[in-house]
Amino acid sequence: MDKTLSKTLPNFRPKKTPAKKTVKEIIYHVVGIVLSLIFLFPIIYMIATSTKSESAYASSLGSVNMFLPDFANLGTMLDNYKNVLVNYDIWKYALNSFLYAIIVIVLNVIINGLAGYVMAKLVFPGKKLLSFLIIFLIVVPVETSIIPLYSIVKVMLGLKQQMSVIGVILPASISIFNIFLFTQFFEGIPKEYEEAARIDGANTMGVFMKVIMPLSKPIIATVAVFCFIGVWNDYLWPSMILPSADEGAWPLLPIQTALISIQSIEGITTGEIMASLIITSIPIFIIYVVAQKYIVQGFGTAGLKM
Amino acid sequence: MKKLLTSILTIFLAMAMVFGMTACGGTEDTGTDKDGNTVVKIMFHVDKTTTEAQAYQKRINAFNAAYKDQKIKAQPMFKARTAGASGYETELLNNQIEGTLADIVTFDAPNTAAYAKSGLLYDISKLIPQETQNKFYSLNKYEGKLYGLPIQESSAGFFYNKKIFAQAGINVDGITAENPWDFAKFKEICGKIKAVGKVAVDMRIDAVKDETAPYLLYPFIYAAGGSFTDSTGYKAEGYYNSAQTARGFQFIKDLISAGYTSYEIGATDFFTGKVGMYLSSGWTIPDLDNKYKATFASRDDWGLLPYPKDAVAASATGSWSYAITNNHHKDKTAIVELLNWMTSAESSKAITDATGMIPARKDVNNNYAQGTPEYTLLKQLEVSGKERPVTVAYPTFSTTFNQIISGLGKGEVSALLASATKTLQGEMDRLQKLHG
Amino acid sequence: MFNTTLIILAVFIIVFLGFAVYDLAVAKKRKQVYRAKSSLTAYLMLLPAVILAFLFILLPILYSLGYAFTDYYLLKPNEINFVWFDNFKDFFEELSTKGTLYNAIKNTLVFVVGVVPLQIGLALLLSLFVNRDGVGSKIFKVCFFAPVVISLSVTSFLWLQILAPGENGLLNALLGIFGIPPHDWLKDPNTAMPCIIILSAWQGCGYQMLIFLSGLSNIRKELYEAASLDGANGWRKFWLVTWPGLRSTFVYIIITVFIGACRILTQPMLMTGYMDHTVTLSYYMYQQGYVYRWVGYSSAVALLMTIFIGAITLIQRRIFREEK
Repeated sequence: MDKTLSKTLPNFRPKKTPAKKTVKEIIYHVVGIVLSLIFLFPIIYMIATSTKSESAYASSLGSVNMFLPDFANLGTMLDNYKNVLVNYDIWKYALNSFLYAIIVIVLNVIINGLAGYVMAKLVFPGKKLLSFLIIFLIVVPVETSIIPLYSIVKVMLGLKQQMSVIGVILPASISIFNIFLFTQFFEGIPKEYEEAARIDGANTMGVFMKVIMPLSKPIIATVAVFCFIGVWNDYLWPSMILPSADEGAWPLLPIQTALISIQSIEGITTGEIMASLIITSIPIFIIYVVAQKYIVQGFGTAGLKM
Repeated sequence: MKKLLTSILTIFLAMAMVFGMTACGGTEDTGTDKDGNTVVKIMFHVDKTTTEAQAYQKRINAFNAAYKDQKIKAQPMFKARTAGASGYETELLNNQIEGTLADIVTFDAPNTAAYAKSGLLYDISKLIPQETQNKFYSLNKYEGKLYGLPIQESSAGFFYNKKIFAQAGINVDGITAENPWDFAKFKEICGKIKAVGKVAVDMRIDAVKDETAPYLLYPFIYAAGGSFTDSTGYKAEGYYNSAQTARGFQFIKDLISAGYTSYEIGATDFFTGKVGMYLSSGWTIPDLDNKYKATFASRDDWGLLPYPKDAVAASATGSWSYAITNNHHKDKTAIVELLNWMTSAESSKAITDATGMIPARKDVNNNYAQGTPEYTLLKQLEVSGKERPVTVAYPTFSTTFNQIISGLGKGEVSALLASATKTLQGEMDRLQKLHG
Repeated sequence: MFNTTLIILAVFIIVFLGFAVYDLAVAKKRKQVYRAKSSLTAYLMLLPAVILAFLFILLPILYSLGYAFTDYYLLKPNEINFVWFDNFKDFFEELSTKGTLYNAIKNTLVFVVGVVPLQIGLALLLSLFVNRDGVGSKIFKVCFFAPVVISLSVTSFLWLQILAPGENGLLNALLGIFGIPPHDWLKDPNTAMPCIIILSAWQGCGYQMLIFLSGLSNIRKELYEAASLDGANGWRKFWLVTWPGLRSTFVYIIITVFIGACRILTQPMLMTGYMDHTVTLSYYMYQQGYVYRWVGYSSAVALLMTIFIGAITLIQRRIFREEK
């Protein structure tokens, strides 16, 4: 019935009856909730465990209580969090990670953004070599680079003690992948913008600062988010490079590295480990939720032509 | 525009200068500080915030006070082990490349062979008098030479739930470190525990992701009269797959087959009263004293039994040790002073008082009462402690051991040993070729 | 080390000059002109990136490449000798024994073949599911994305509890409600890899879901309306409008997921240890290099792996480009 009507009246679109729509909506939401639970249940388990003392955790294993916070001991539910924050100075390490992340983001956007712009818009001798290198370097695995990288940072550049922080920040400030993202994005900016700016007398740098950058909010947001996550989650490299703190001095370690060594402190309970894991995941989670829109936009406008 | 360009250039020139300065300048490691003290650097494998580290720090401070007049200063460095990538070892080795290797380092006993063979460690055979050497429960020796002294000792045994034992009608009077039970008696007791509906023993056969299972289970092979390598550490064929070695693994397999132990036992099952016995090291003692009051309110509720014996009595031993390194400081006099200080009876006692482990020296008197878990562990060390195989291929040994344990449930001991021996021997051959 | 670096730097500069001169020559022929000032600007703007990339990306890779031809044993850093192709000979010899290396490659292939379609398929389905207005879909989006936030090591630890054998394991407990007996998921060679595949897809698909969403947002709405007018139902709309519109997104995703899958290391390492039924190529490489201390051999394995990944990536790009 509907199909014949569509043929005779091209603009006819039968309206779904309200009832049908609501049923569909309900089904949609039910399916969504079921799927969400499947994706969330390990995290629910994590949160529930973080509220338990060791014995409560042990006795909850094997039953539904694994997913339920320790309602029996309402008063002590947040004890693990208190312990972790107070006894283990987690806030100091979190602050470190924030600071590192901000510096890395700024450097990253400037350095890789400049490079991406040059690769996208400028012409110069030798460009082919660089394009090839960019594609090549994205594919190579980084695992075995750590040993030589350590020697480069510590021996050749001699970055010891406090200077080691530079050895953490600088390598994180260069990212071939980000250059690639910037390049793709800038290629999508129509020439007209640049030409207009040049007619107004701006040179290349000016075009970059005054025209391109303001237009690049989505991709900058994307890159910033990835940088933040990268710095926040990185633990192996900082643990190899950074010295442990002197007595009374501010520690240099970022959060994940601190977490790993906290987990091996004797006497730490499963609940406390979970609490510390959750504490470190929360900032990332917030960033993701807030920046989601930008990430989607950033990828979209980048075009992603491999 | 032009300004921005120039500012970027300036930033980079500045950075280049900074690099230049740090690369060229930097502290020259001459071993003396500006006050004329000889600086002895000692590197520890624990994080600064741990009780163990604080114990070390106290002893260092005491050393510095005592040696002020002699102008020797100890400088500790704390570099925690990170899980997985053995950050501590990487730090060690890169210090070696850099030329900033500490004068004394701590290292895990099984690495003695590999570190010594590679020239990382300094031969202290002649620097420590035989009389002193005899005072230690174990020594870090390789090819007849002494390379290290233990910080503290470690031993392990079977923690047991007294209530369950009472319920099962088990009497363990008379089972001591000097007079341990044997394989048959062990199985018999397991049978009794199973009969009252509890899991007999947690043999830790699920702990195959790191050194835990090898450390706790290797003594069974020695107990059965087996071994893993020859004395040079380059031959596994004929040892790892010998009949006695198979007998030791078979014992463990029998426990699995009889349902006395399994891979499914939860990590906390013993602590919640579901399991009769728990094989673990001395690190579990503080846990039992403090953490699981619901099941173990006091020491009336739990005890410690020694390793069972077969052909011989064997128990686990070997922990972290100190070693003097082969770094650029050729004059080891001051360094030996620090080593002697840190391995003295006084230091040994101070550190183990803080950590709850067993002192490395026989002359440290902790006066453990007979029958206490600590006493049993100590006696075990004296009477039956056998170190893990001394070989440069230790990491491969550890991995293959874990693979055997993991496969014991479903696989045949002979097949598992054949495969493990082939792998280990292959690695040993490779290392023999390297070391020439 | 400094001297070798200078040599490498010199080589790099020479190669670059070579390319530059070539470009200049070609330009001359085509009567095009490179403007000196803008080229200079380009070089200056590139300089920070090039310096950092040279120092921290290119150099380590080249050194690693170099190590592949040596007998670098970690404990003897001052006695490195060139053994040229010995490491590669050892590799193929080890492969022929059908031992651990053979299993590593097999398991890695199984993982890749399993996780790539699963993760991408899930991501696609989920992206279509949440690609609509409304508060519900926004919340669902966040939920599907939540696992991505958790690092791989935490995920592995978490799933260890879930897949634990005996009745304590979450999965076994859940199945127990339906009367299904407990199973040792990670120990059974038949179920271990599939479990790892599933949990990896679970962890990662939220990320690709976002990328698909961005691809979907680029498809012009008019195309859908046109299809509706032509009488297309949901399925045909997908086939005629959505799928073609997602082509470049899809190519990007399949390449990146493939590369990531080849490198799997954390999950087997933290969940099962070095066992034949879950060992992967990356794990083998790590174990040989960091634990057994054969840095030279490990670098050789890394080189072979890179060549393999690079080759497949090139093939993939070629396949997907032709279909256009």
